[in-house]
Amino acid sequence: MIQAVETNHDAGDVATAAGHGAGATSRTIHVRVLRQDAPGQESYWERHAIPYEPNMNVISILQRIAATARAEDGRSVAPVAWDCNCLEEVCGSCTMLVNGRTRMACTALVDRLLEDNSEEIELRPMSKFPVVRDLVVDRRRVFRGLERVEAWVPVDGSYDHGPGPRISPEDQEDAYPLSTCMSCGCCLEACPQYTKIEVVQREGESAEAFDARRKAAFDRGFVGAHAISQAMLFNAHPTGRMIADERLAALTGEGGIQMCGNAQNCVAVCPKHIPLTRSIARAGRAATVWAIKKLFDR
Amino acid sequence: MAQPRVLVIGGGLAGLAATMRLAESGTDVDLVSLVPVKRSHSACAQGGINSVNALTRQQGDNEWKHFDDTVYGGDFLQHQPPVKEMADWGPRIIDLMDRLGVPFNRTPEGFRDQRRFGGTLYKRTAFAGATTGQQLLYALDEQVRRYEVSGRVKKWEFWDFLEPVLDASGRCRGAVCQDLVTMQFRAFPADAVVLATGGCGLVYGRSTMSMVCTGSAVSRAYQAGAWYGNGEFIQVHPTAIPGADKLRLMSESARGEGGRVWVPRKPQDPRDPREIPEAERCYFLEERYPKYGNLVPRDIATREIFDICTTDGLSVEKDRLCVYLDLTHLSREMLDRKLGGILEIYEKFQGVDPRVVPMKIFPAVHYSMGGLWVDYQKSSSGGLEEGDPKNQQTSIPGLYAIGECDYQYHGANRLGANSLLSCIFSGLFCAPSVIASGAAVRKTSAEESSRLFDASLRRQEARHESLLARRGGNENPYDLHQQLGGLMTRVATVVRRNEQLAAAYDEVCGLEERWQRCSLSDTGNWTNQNVVFTKSLGDMFPIAKLILKGALLRDECRGAHYKPSTAMPGIAATDPVEQRREAEEWCDRFEANTRKWLKSTIAKHGADGHPQISYEDIDTSLIPPRPRLYGLVGGDVIEEVWRERQRAAGQAGETSPQPVAAGA
Amino acid sequence: MNQPEPSRSFLSRHQFLIYRLFSLSGLIPVGAFLVVHLLTNASVLGGPESFQSRVDMIHSLGPLLVPIEIAFIFLPMLFHAAVGFAIIAGGLPNVGSYPYVGNVRYTLQRATGMIAFAFIIGHLIQLHWLGAPLRGSEGGFDPHHATSTAAIAIRPLLVSILYAIGVLSTVFHFSNGLWTLGITWGLWTSPAAMRRANWVSIAVGVVLAAAGLGAIGGLRTVDVAKARGVEDRMDEVKRMLKGEMPIEEGRSPAVRGTSNSSLPNAGPVSSEGT
Repeated sequence: MIQAVETNHDAGDVATAAGHGAGATSRTIHVRVLRQDAPGQESYWERHAIPYEPNMNVISILQRIAATARAEDGRSVAPVAWDCNCLEEVCGSCTMLVNGRTRMACTALVDRLLEDNSEEIELRPMSKFPVVRDLVVDRRRVFRGLERVEAWVPVDGSYDHGPGPRISPEDQEDAYPLSTCMSCGCCLEACPQYTKIEVVQREGESAEAFDARRKAAFDRGFVGAHAISQAMLFNAHPTGRMIADERLAALTGEGGIQMCGNAQNCVAVCPKHIPLTRSIARAGRAATVWAIKKLFDR
Repeated sequence: MAQPRVLVIGGGLAGLAATMRLAESGTDVDLVSLVPVKRSHSACAQGGINSVNALTRQQGDNEWKHFDDTVYGGDFLQHQPPVKEMADWGPRIIDLMDRLGVPFNRTPEGFRDQRRFGGTLYKRTAFAGATTGQQLLYALDEQVRRYEVSGRVKKWEFWDFLEPVLDASGRCRGAVCQDLVTMQFRAFPADAVVLATGGCGLVYGRSTMSMVCTGSAVSRAYQAGAWYGNGEFIQVHPTAIPGADKLRLMSESARGEGGRVWVPRKPQDPRDPREIPEAERCYFLEERYPKYGNLVPRDIATREIFDICTTDGLSVEKDRLCVYLDLTHLSREMLDRKLGGILEIYEKFQGVDPRVVPMKIFPAVHYSMGGLWVDYQKSSSGGLEEGDPKNQQTSIPGLYAIGECDYQYHGANRLGANSLLSCIFSGLFCAPSVIASGAAVRKTSAEESSRLFDASLRRQEARHESLLARRGGNENPYDLHQQLGGLMTRVATVVRRNEQLAAAYDEVCGLEERWQRCSLSDTGNWTNQNVVFTKSLGDMFPIAKLILKGALLRDECRGAHYKPSTAMPGIAATDPVEQRREAEEWCDRFEANTRKWLKSTIAKHGADGHPQISYEDIDTSLIPPRPRLYGLVGGDVIEEVWRERQRAAGQAGETSPQPVAAGA
Repeated sequence: MNQPEPSRSFLSRHQFLIYRLFSLSGLIPVGAFLVVHLLTNASVLGGPESFQSRVDMIHSLGPLLVPIEIAFIFLPMLFHAAVGFAIIAGGLPNVGSYPYVGNVRYTLQRATGMIAFAFIIGHLIQLHWLGAPLRGSEGGFDPHHATSTAAIAIRPLLVSILYAIGVLSTVFHFSNGLWTLGITWGLWTSPAAMRRANWVSIAVGVVLAAAGLGAIGGLRTVDVAKARGVEDRMDEVKRMLKGEMPIEEGRSPAVRGTSNSSLPNAGPVSSEGT
């Protein structure tokens, strides 16, 4: 949420920076941002014009907008709010819709975007999560998904018990990609089966009651590809699988694996190229076996 | 408040490790973070995490050698007991992270694989692909989520720490924080407060650090009276990808696999680098360090790259300083197999394939060795007394600091893959100390408590309101930040000169004054990132000032702090007798310098807003300081003289000086 | 926490089971019926007697046919359709923003499901006994005159086109559904296995589409009068075999007149159950 901004990309370089060019280029990038001042308010489009510089990304565009705080027509406007942190596609913060498609803003290079559409770059908040403000959305549900499937290794505690289980290189190579999931929410945004759940605090409702009600609402919705994949990650771990049944119970509960419609957008948009559909199919298999076993064991 | 309750600020590796340990011990934890903790900056760490392991042990390694490498790499600027304790904990920490499910790379037999990092002779570094920090962070995030579900931990994500709340006795009793969405303030009473808020890279404008690494939380503690240690020690990594928004790290392994650094001999040669013939390229590292070539240690590589661009004016581009890091002579298959991950980052962000076109790289601010001064209780065995309330406690009782935001483990220069260890170690290790500290607190009456917190709340609300209400100011906070970053990068990174530092100090004071006239473009009270940034910018100035003043006053070269005027050149003579005489002189000078400067810099925030600098002696009782002779002309003669002196002083054995390739 | 969680409905508590039954019902029995139906229809390419003999085989179930039809075809199909519409209502197709192959298939699966549903309703109204009250006494499918009644029904060009669309939609829905079913149940999990399974489902789809379109083509080109003659004669034989009609010397041209008829060996036939 802290937004540091550089208005000029020479910043930080030494003396030679003084010589940088006034007449470099006069190209202008037109940016259209779908803004919303607060939850429950009407959204509106706002246009910005940014002087072109080489090697920009969408983050640097938003930084310029914040620094100038002026719309294309010259009006003073509040800076566009957006989420970001690492700027190297590893923290999962800056997910937004760039030209209609979900992706990380930090790796959305302006030169590439202009190749596709030189007229304009369009920025919108994710549509599957409640808008907090402008491009900032509330992705609590993503993390709630991890709670639902108990995405952790159920260790006794953090005191020394020697090394972990031995794991073959093959199993490590299988697990590692799943473990790079940064909870960015791209898979959920692109999923046609994942629909927005927005719970509004009622008049006089306590924060705790509201939180509980929101969680209950989340728990009825589709848990999502990322959480299914994490469940499979931990069900494959020698210690993690000790609560495999609990994860499968969650995955076969309401909003579980069955909600997947096999559109496979998740794997297509995942910035980390995580084999999400493989995880989903494996979860399907595990659920099949588990459900049948349950039927006959009971 | 019968149930103990601790407030942890920051949810990176250190904060999460502390939270996990505290929760496990039955303490309730409020965990405050600027971002969802899974998005913390720890995720950016790539290389790995160091510890002695079964394999290196059989090759002669032990915890002591890890400890020795760390203090030698840090140029002896650390108190040694905490570093020893950390090295001792290393194996247990790796085992723990392994049990938590971190997908460490494996050997064919299923054991953890290790690789070698700078500054050591042993393969101590466990790693998980090229995203070790991310994997460690996630493992701890998952454990903390467990405690969150069980109700032991309450997370406050998108919250900003504003100030520690101190009682009349000066003890920290909690903190005031602000919700970055609703902009509401809230008091967090706590038995103790733990700061785990990371580095301060944004003081330098752009760095390899994430956007939350403003240093504002540490600055707020410092302004409330906590001491700041070794502020002037900032690690600059030699190879980063310059970007309009951020400088992204390009791992050292690119050079390890054969990458070559060069610039065109003709300044700003406009030709495609692939068309510049060999004869017109300057491979300056290979030319100046024929023995080590492109694999000189970080500080030297950084200095040389910086010099060739600034002093020699041979930067590849005119407007943007950079040199070529060339991998194009290497086979594509090998590159994909060994460097795929980092090359993908370059390709994604630069839109250029580094297998085909040389990369453009430049040094970038990377890590703050300095941070909040913290205490420790030495044990009889030379390590730390576990559970003593002093461990990791700042100069404010009840306020603790861990991870990158403390100053304790890396001295003047950090070794690669030691930061992840120090973060997890300090997080785990501080928990019993924090609990012990909390238990000692006289329970506050509700009335006293509310009086205490009301004052802080009112002060913070007033600061917030006055910022929002500012009218007619003509200063733009983003411009000011850019100027601050440019200035700091210019004078307080690789090469430091007193006249520049002194002038920069005044300039920063000027910028700070101009900050008072900042006007906000957003005066609303909902998710106002404008006011949050402006506040944190205001808190960068005290940090910038203590860095500059610390650097100005420290008239020596040590680790990352390099002043040409105080550099100790090698031996020029060729005649053996003359060489011997010069070596004796060199050693005399080194000993004098050690006596004068082997001290922690302590900055205290003065009432006038200026840092008051004092120095604290360092506990070097375990390993006596010795010269770092890496790459120095005549180093062998100096070493000989030094060894003789050590023997004469009755010291021998394990602590005898060994010139180790001092890579950081 | 302090608010009692609203008790969940039967449907939400058993969502997984319902969705899995939905998935299964698409294959068995609905899909299996589709395969049998389309292959039976395609036998019209072998001549009216070929088609007729297969229809007769089905109708040999006699009084069991209706309960079997209801229990194993109509109810599962209704269940599949009802759940299917609920799924469609709960999704947000976004193929415009994400025009990937998988997403196109996702969207087509839903579109073809709805087309197939409409088509089957129309098909039943037009030809099945269930639709008799709606269409009046005229038309419909006479199992004793399979080829001729079917041919008359679909001969108008518009009807043929609608049938072609309906059949292709149904076939796509089935064969694509076969592929997603394998993922849902975890039969194929890796991308490579999914690709292999995809070829199988494409092959199934192509065969069924050929069969379905072949039947339409066959019905459009068959000589209705001639077919009627064949059917009449076959009907006579059936009735004679059942003893409803005396067997007369020289009155069995149906047998001799059809060159490749397998009718005499077709086993017991029945005319009941229509």
